[in-house]
Amino acid sequence: MQVVKLSLKEANKIPIEADNTNPDNFAGKTEEEIKAILVWYGNDQYPLGDFFNVKVEGSDSVENTKLVFEGDVSRVKRIGQNMSAGEIEINGSVDMHCGFGMRGGKIVINGDADSWLGCEMTGGEIILNGNASYYVGSGYRGEACGMRGGKITINGNARDYLGEHICGGEILVKGSVGLLPAISNNGGKIIIEGNATMPASEMKSGTVIIKGEVSDLLPSYKEEGTEEVEEVIYRKFVGDVNVGGKGVLLIK
Amino acid sequence: MSEILIKNASVCDPAQGINCETMDICIKDGKIVESVSANAKVINADGRLTMAGGFDGHTHSAGKINVGRSINPNDARKNLVPGLSGQVARTEKTRAQVGYNTPNTYAIGYRYAKLGYTTICEAAIPLIAARHTHEEFKEIPILDKMGLSLFGSNWQVMEYIRDKEPEKLAAYVAWGLKASRGYGVKIVNPGGGEAWGWGKNVSGLYDPVPNFDVTPAEILMSLAEVNERLQLPHSVHVHCNNLGKPGNYATTIETMKLFEKIKPSRDRQALHVTHVQFNAYAGTSWRDFETGAPMVADYVNGADHLTFDLGQVIFGPAVTMTADGPVEYANARMLHEKWSNQDIELEDASGVVPLFYSPKSFVNAVQWAIGLELALLVKDPWKVMFTTDSPNGGSFVNYPEAFTYLMSAKRREEVISGFSKMALDRMVLPGIDRELDFYELAIMTRSAQSKMYSRPEKGNLKPGSDADIAIYDILPGQIDPSTEYAKVKKAFSGAAYTLKNGEIVVKDGEIEATPKGKIYWVNAKVPSAIDSAMQKDIDIKFRKYYTVSKSNYMVEDAYLQKPVEITTEGVF
Ligand SMILES: [Zn+2]
Repeated sequence: MQVVKLSLKEANKIPIEADNTNPDNFAGKTEEEIKAILVWYGNDQYPLGDFFNVKVEGSDSVENTKLVFEGDVSRVKRIGQNMSAGEIEINGSVDMHCGFGMRGGKIVINGDADSWLGCEMTGGEIILNGNASYYVGSGYRGEACGMRGGKITINGNARDYLGEHICGGEILVKGSVGLLPAISNNGGKIIIEGNATMPASEMKSGTVIIKGEVSDLLPSYKEEGTEEVEEVIYRKFVGDVNVGGKGVLLIK
Repeated sequence: MSEILIKNASVCDPAQGINCETMDICIKDGKIVESVSANAKVINADGRLTMAGGFDGHTHSAGKINVGRSINPNDARKNLVPGLSGQVARTEKTRAQVGYNTPNTYAIGYRYAKLGYTTICEAAIPLIAARHTHEEFKEIPILDKMGLSLFGSNWQVMEYIRDKEPEKLAAYVAWGLKASRGYGVKIVNPGGGEAWGWGKNVSGLYDPVPNFDVTPAEILMSLAEVNERLQLPHSVHVHCNNLGKPGNYATTIETMKLFEKIKPSRDRQALHVTHVQFNAYAGTSWRDFETGAPMVADYVNGADHLTFDLGQVIFGPAVTMTADGPVEYANARMLHEKWSNQDIELEDASGVVPLFYSPKSFVNAVQWAIGLELALLVKDPWKVMFTTDSPNGGSFVNYPEAFTYLMSAKRREEVISGFSKMALDRMVLPGIDRELDFYELAIMTRSAQSKMYSRPEKGNLKPGSDADIAIYDILPGQIDPSTEYAKVKKAFSGAAYTLKNGEIVVKDGEIEATPKGKIYWVNAKVPSAIDSAMQKDIDIKFRKYYTVSKSNYMVEDAYLQKPVEITTEGVF
């Protein structure tokens, strides 16, 4: 097991783009090597060690490497981008694009996450023990596919456009979400235990389950009886007919 | 005074009939000359393939491409042709680059230059949006630029045709070129852009345009006559009716035949038909869709009044952008894709739709084959300009890949081997064994353009011509393009040297310098009495319909970087 502990020397105002801060890039590296990794800060690159105290225990493979961020990193972006294995634990809030393009492994955030959490991820797991902002699991601007695999669990609430353009994988929100969750869903599964507004517009395929209240249910869905999931009976809607969709929307 | 001597070049210059002969090229003050002094800087070409700078006569690189950028922000990170696409950080010599089909302006300049291209012609400038096109031109480094102005669905044009006022029509076209600082007359789906304003299209050459009582055939003939009356350097540049529809090859041949009676006013074609791949479809629906290229090529082989370009398809993502509004609506509906649609006031329509050409789709496979069939079945390469209608058929950065298709039957077979049986039944390409040589490739990529656009100083290496030169890392006698196509592709992807006006702009495939290019535009002279009579008519149009005033409509000289005004005398 290799554990890399990182803590910010002082809070930064300008965001740090830590897109290479993941187990893939840290595994087997010494403290000095990790400190020397360059990250973008403003329009220039600086060694990670300029911003973070770095402590390394052990040396191991990617699967057995864990990064622990101690404290708030709410101005550090792209933590865990493209990671394929291993684990990241963030004991505080995190900035945008955490877990972007993640392929495997696990990220646990003990705080809030800013927008674009787990965008375009294809595998692995993100557990957020706080609230998420906009565009959880969605795609890069203009892209037809967001998340394609893996699972995101949000133990708090999420804001608008949750799971926009997802083409696979699963998002579970224990709290409520904002406007237009699951917009343009094309094959993913989204479960919202709280409330949602205008869910699943332009859904082509996939499943959306909303256990709380739904505001402004779209008129472009056909009701087709009921469906039972885990001993709960839901009203079943199929659509979005605007796009010839065959997605399933289950609500109470 | 700057002098350069390129020694030991294997020169391929079809304009002079020089086919890979070893010789020296002398350059003085940006021009090719007979000799230079002993002080000249020497570039040793070491026997490498040397051609005039490439000339892309039909590309969408300024103007409408910006709509493509805004609806495809994800294009910014696409990097399908490393070295010529994707995100590239700024260097001391170059600005930051992004994109693939719709790169930023700087990237367009750098990437064309890396391919050894030095001149481009933007294929569609709406008069009212010309200012924007020129703003983009200004930020495309290195290349010389020109643009074709849209006249094919213009109210004033159609009214003058209906009212049989050919002189006023000529005055209007001359004014339109001046207003847009354009180089030539582009006609897109004549009449179709206006019909689209009513949710309709025109179905062929004799289908009248709603409310104007003129037919596409009349629009074509009248504008062609005006084009020759004004002695414009380029012929009319036509995107035929029925583009993208099975069976449209018949309309294309019919259009070509119409022009047999047009007498060109200069030593060039009477008609240029653009991206013919999209207009050479047989069959009656997408089910029985097949190639119409043999029929079109047959006609072209027997005709000597026209030239055309390919609109070759490249597999992968592309972005269609055209003034052909109804076609883009059909594309967006059929492909369930994003769609941008614009009404260009009194002038035309416009649409943008991204799409993906897949070799697994039999339609896309046949489209891919049609472009190559046209290039290979038409015997005279001087009639053919190589294009992908970038980025409609695919991004121009794929030109080197496409060159290997033209030069190697083996390479074509490799691609064809991935096609379905159904696709193979609908194309004739597998039976074609012709392979272009460097000489023919040079004709299609630079030399033919010189004559097509009446730019005698471009596309050749004659003394007096612009010293726009590409040296590729190929030893012509020692390479067999039909088997060594990977080497061919590599060499054309990053010129050993590109010179622009005698300045080294690319060396070993990397940008060396980024001078500003020239902008060519045509000022056609019209008798003032006719001009003022025409102005009265358009004043009414501006007062009644346009959202801008005439004085704000004209592109001023301030918008042009290094303008080159080409004057012509109208014959009245
Ligand atoms: Zn075009």
